[in-house]
Amino acid sequence: MAFDAWDGEDESAAGRFVPLYVLVNGRTSPRDSRLDLATQVVALPVDTRLLDPEYLRIVDRCGNWISVAEIGAYLQLPLTIAKVMVDVLVEQGYLGVGSPAQRKIVDRHLLDSVLAGLERL
Amino acid sequence: MERTSVKIVVAGGFGTGKTTLVGSVSEIPPLTTEEVLTEASVGVDDTTGVEGKTHTTVALDFGRITISPDVVLYLFGTPGQDRFWFIWDELAQGAVGAIVLVDTRRLESSFPAVDYFERRGVPFVAAVNRFFGECAYTEDEIRSALELTPEVPLVWCDARDRGSSKLALIALVRHALGRLSPARA
Ligand SMILES: Nc1nc2c(ncn2[C@@H]2O[C@H](COP(=O)(O)OP(=O)(O)OP(=O)(O)O)[C@@H](O)[C@H]2O)c(=O)[nH]1
Ligand SMILES: [Mg+2]
Repeated sequence: MAFDAWDGEDESAAGRFVPLYVLVNGRTSPRDSRLDLATQVVALPVDTRLLDPEYLRIVDRCGNWISVAEIGAYLQLPLTIAKVMVDVLVEQGYLGVGSPAQRKIVDRHLLDSVLAGLERL
Repeated sequence: MERTSVKIVVAGGFGTGKTTLVGSVSEIPPLTTEEVLTEASVGVDDTTGVEGKTHTTVALDFGRITISPDVVLYLFGTPGQDRFWFIWDELAQGAVGAIVLVDTRRLESSFPAVDYFERRGVPFVAAVNRFFGECAYTEDEIRSALELTPEVPLVWCDARDRGSSKLALIALVRHALGRLSPARA
């Protein structure tokens, strides 16, 4: 399918750069989606025969866990579009989603393991 | 599902070595992704009518470091121009913190990044990138030029060197840990 991108109604201040509002499958950019550009997704074992090629391309990239940003980079999709399309795939059960990087307080246990991981490098 | 992403932002003025640092520690060659932005020109130029908006493509570099089988650290370099605050907000939200690279030939170019993370309470370290070995300033001079508060760590680094970049990341994670409320035994 083709997706359109258009300038939506602005809530933004003059002179400020904001992302293009995008329309994918009849919806606009999900502003409060739990997807962050670092959130990782993985293909679920479901039948993908009915998927449009643009979406199939994404699912095919997700054999192993991969972030939204990596999908955007490998498939040369602008981030906002990659995010909306991934969101559609998650909602329709094609992709499983990992813990978002978005969390208010990064917990001590997680930081401890990041520190240990970096020290091992 | 158990798969956790952790983010660190690599910021600093134009040409301070952000992409170089991301590349030196990443386990994959740095990737680039783009965001298409539109400039809302409301009230700026009413006479040009409907076509009064500018589209701009902003490139973001990033790399990854696998920490453990279920944790991956992503390093995002901010766009060189600091007017794209929208991107900064998205990068900073939920991040462990930021490394602000500083080029001593243009100290002031990293001030907007320092100011940004300071205002939002995002933990950050200042990493002075030694472009030509010797640095003309003392640590105190750099601190005062950048208005760093005493608790902000300052490290010296060579962004081209993996070990050196790794130490800057470690300094940041330690600093972020130190800012969490004390662990209960
Ligand atoms: N001598 C020396 N050169 C460096 C160092 N770090 C980066 N460079 C060089 O400085 C130039 C700019 O580095 P980049 O990593 O592209 O800087 P950047 O911050 O990503 O630049 P923008 O994205 O354009 O803002 C490159 O030519 C690097 O090779 C360093 O530690 N020492
Ligand atoms: Mg760069």
